Amino acid sequence: MEHIILFAGPMGAGKTTAIQSLSDIPVISTEAANTDRATADKATTTVALDYGEIHVSDEERIRMYGIPGQRRFDFMWRILRDRAEGMVLLIHNDGPDPVDAMREFMIEFADLCERGGVAVGITRMDVAPGPILTHYTDVLERDRPDLMVPVMPVDPRDRGNMEMLMMCLIANIEMRAAYSAVPA
Amino acid sequence: MIAQTTVSLAPHKDPFVIDLATVALHDLTDVAHTVRYATVLTEDGFEVDGVPAYEEDRLSSMASSIQALSEAVARELVIGRAHYVIIAADDAHVIQLRVPGQQLVLAAVFEVEETLGNALAACKYAAERFATALNAR
Repeated sequence: MEHIILFAGPMGAGKTTAIQSLSDIPVISTEAANTDRATADKATTTVALDYGEIHVSDEERIRMYGIPGQRRFDFMWRILRDRAEGMVLLIHNDGPDPVDAMREFMIEFADLCERGGVAVGITRMDVAPGPILTHYTDVLERDRPDLMVPVMPVDPRDRGNMEMLMMCLIANIEMRAAYSAVPA
Repeated sequence: MIAQTTVSLAPHKDPFVIDLATVALHDLTDVAHTVRYATVLTEDGFEVDGVPAYEEDRLSSMASSIQALSEAVARELVIGRAHYVIIAADDAHVIQLRVPGQQLVLAAVFEVEETLGNALAACKYAAERFATALNAR
């Protein structure tokens, strides 16, 4: 059995690092020199996808696809979104208007959140003042009262952190599947 | 004491690079009259210049992804460097290749009646002249 999970979020949120932390295989990445240092001060940026795998058992594996964070690559978002069963949404708390960034991705990937599941990880909460966790959860509860979305601070470099977020996502997907299976 | 730092412009904002990209695109269209559209882009998908002027740099974004994917495939298969990408479609050909030694890509859409050999040769010619001019800076 195979599951496909998307890693989404703005440029610099830690998607590539998170997949590298979780993957049981060497990650396939499509990094290019970043010429847009105003948006994110890092040397490289993902321009197509990152790919990693978690081998749950001999028969079960999770395929992880990281999407480019910049909207000009949204054609890759559409290609990868259609195959996915759930989404890890990473938002860096020290980015420009991170709560609004979360809202934008939740809107962009609304169909995936509805048919599969979503878990939100807030990164870089410890490096600079920014919104507190309840700012994110309040917005989610207001915008999508129909969805239960787990939100937690994470360090994408920490495999344990990321495994916890993935477990939240899987629980979210299973819960949604169970509810949808119950006759109205 | 004031520390001095050198800030290099991004290629798509550097007038020198933009001017040479314009020359390279004219080199291309001079030798291949079947170019429907061509662009020089940074490897992270920003258009440096394009002919004819295009309203959005959609091709640049897609060419950036395709370039990175093709290089990732070559890397994963351990088959050496990826030299160019060809998309032969019903109504046009797309050819793209890295400008030698640069973080830049040349991508061009050719009319379908153009032969792939001619189209590729024209792109290689323009990219190599472009690289030579950039290296002379």
